[in-house]
Amino acid sequence: MLETKNLTKNFKGVQAVNHLNLIVNSGEIVGLIGPNGAGKTTVFNLITGYLRPTEGKVILNGKDITGQKPHVIAMKGIIRTFQLDRIFHNFNVIQNIEIASYLYAGIGLCEAIWNTSGYRNKYHETSQSAEKILKFVGLEDKRDEMARHLSHGHQKLLGIAIALAAKPKVLLLDEPLGGMNSSEVEKTLGIIGEIRKQGTAILLVEHNMQAVMKICDRIVVLNFGMEIARGLPEEIQKNQEVIQAYLGTKRLLPSIT
Amino acid sequence: MNDEKSEAGELGRMKLNKHWGYLFLILIIFIIPVFIKSEYYLHILILSVINIILTCSLRAIAVTGQVSIGHAGFKCIGAYTSTLIAMRLGFSPYLSMLIGGLAALMVAGIIAYPITRVRTVYFSMLTMFLGIVVTLVTSEWRSLTGGTTGIINIPSFGTTTVFGIGIDFNNKLPNLYLALILMVVVLIFLYSLDRSYIGMTLKAISQDESLAASIGINVARSKAIIFCMGCFIAGLAGGFYAHYWGILNPDSFGLFHSIYLLIYMIVGGTDRFIGAVIGAFVLTLLPEVSRVFQEYQPLVFVAVLYLVVFLLPKGMIDLPHQMRFLLRMVYQDRVKRNA
Repeated sequence: MLETKNLTKNFKGVQAVNHLNLIVNSGEIVGLIGPNGAGKTTVFNLITGYLRPTEGKVILNGKDITGQKPHVIAMKGIIRTFQLDRIFHNFNVIQNIEIASYLYAGIGLCEAIWNTSGYRNKYHETSQSAEKILKFVGLEDKRDEMARHLSHGHQKLLGIAIALAAKPKVLLLDEPLGGMNSSEVEKTLGIIGEIRKQGTAILLVEHNMQAVMKICDRIVVLNFGMEIARGLPEEIQKNQEVIQAYLGTKRLLPSIT
Repeated sequence: MNDEKSEAGELGRMKLNKHWGYLFLILIIFIIPVFIKSEYYLHILILSVINIILTCSLRAIAVTGQVSIGHAGFKCIGAYTSTLIAMRLGFSPYLSMLIGGLAALMVAGIIAYPITRVRTVYFSMLTMFLGIVVTLVTSEWRSLTGGTTGIINIPSFGTTTVFGIGIDFNNKLPNLYLALILMVVVLIFLYSLDRSYIGMTLKAISQDESLAASIGINVARSKAIIFCMGCFIAGLAGGFYAHYWGILNPDSFGLFHSIYLLIYMIVGGTDRFIGAVIGAFVLTLLPEVSRVFQEYQPLVFVAVLYLVVFLLPKGMIDLPHQMRFLLRMVYQDRVKRNA
């Protein structure tokens, strides 16, 4: 479904991403892991159009979408979440979800201004689908609260809910579990699993290794923008190069002890 | 009609009930001027109506997080274009007013591409200089605009007959009604926009541009379109002002005018649509009401500003809420003392 070919990004000589080839199929969760500064978020920015790749292509369903504007790519079905709690702080929870739903309801400008019956019907539909998403992520008791008053974990969930309302075909999750406690992690993993079941392709960046190993079908490991390993979770856990990237080389260890 | 209403659900019914309330309000607004006999107060009311239109159009732009300090510049473009077209080409003032609005729209459209790509302070800076450039051009291009001496004898809206009643626009009252009609149309349009999902997308843009883009909102285009709309309305108001007042002078569209519009908006309150209306209305009337203080008028203005900023940081629209809060505090205090 989503494919990157030789994706490369240079920042004034620093190679943030180096010839990365990724494939994410629908109904599959691919984990993208690596130490801090490995270029994972840059990959997200390249795929979703926030950055323009120096080289290489991003392909969605066989069509080249490299270098298009973020909103165009979003409309084509690639939706991302952000590492920090990026939500609309001055909206309440349900408005946060509705705003994304509206965009995909096909409402015209004049229709909305003159409040036609067609608009009201579409409005009704979108608010119902927004309620469904609200229930799906389990925030229904926070429905009318201001988004900025939510706890960190709930804000993260709301971020996912906003992305879901935008009807993703490919969902890019940037550290969805960051800063959550273990019960919240369990709950969020359940939600991500459900999204996968609906046939959405998911690319997951996450530092919580336990969770990554548990939920991902395949894993790609980045270090300094280079792919150093890929494979099934069990293979990655045993991979010597990956262990080195995370823990440092063995050569250093004797000098410490 | 009834079936459709119930199908549309809560929203439809709410809107319909509310419509009657608004209609009633508009009716009252249209009846009040009949009882005002003083030419002077009519003049002040017309100015405040023009200010309401301008402030609301400024707010529409500001909703996306772009604060324009050059809004009077677009009023200026509208006013001069409308005047020149009416005087040199002999167009009807109604038509030339519209063309004035379109001229402002065109200028806004040309600069919208670069100007809406910068944010916050940079946007304010660019619009400020645009406003200054517009007034400079109007005061220096003497052959066209008459320079700093300005233009006089601008044709008024003339005389027309509506339902057999002759209306002479050289009087104040018909002008006030025309301004009110313009205001109601503009406010209904802007209010509907604000309430619809489009208003919501604009507010979303002001909160987080990249998040808005990530769910598919075309940030640059939305900002450009609302900027052009706001400037069109400003141009329209400028055209009306020119034909009503009959005299044009670049000084009346200077930087201060833009800043005053901004103050009206902020003092009124930016959270809700009605804030801009209240702010513009009250603050236009205030200098006139405080006329008894004569040379201390600016002081009164500043005092009101300070009071609002410190006591009502959310603007005048927050007054009822704050009053309730204050009353409750006083009441509870008394209960405690009695106990």
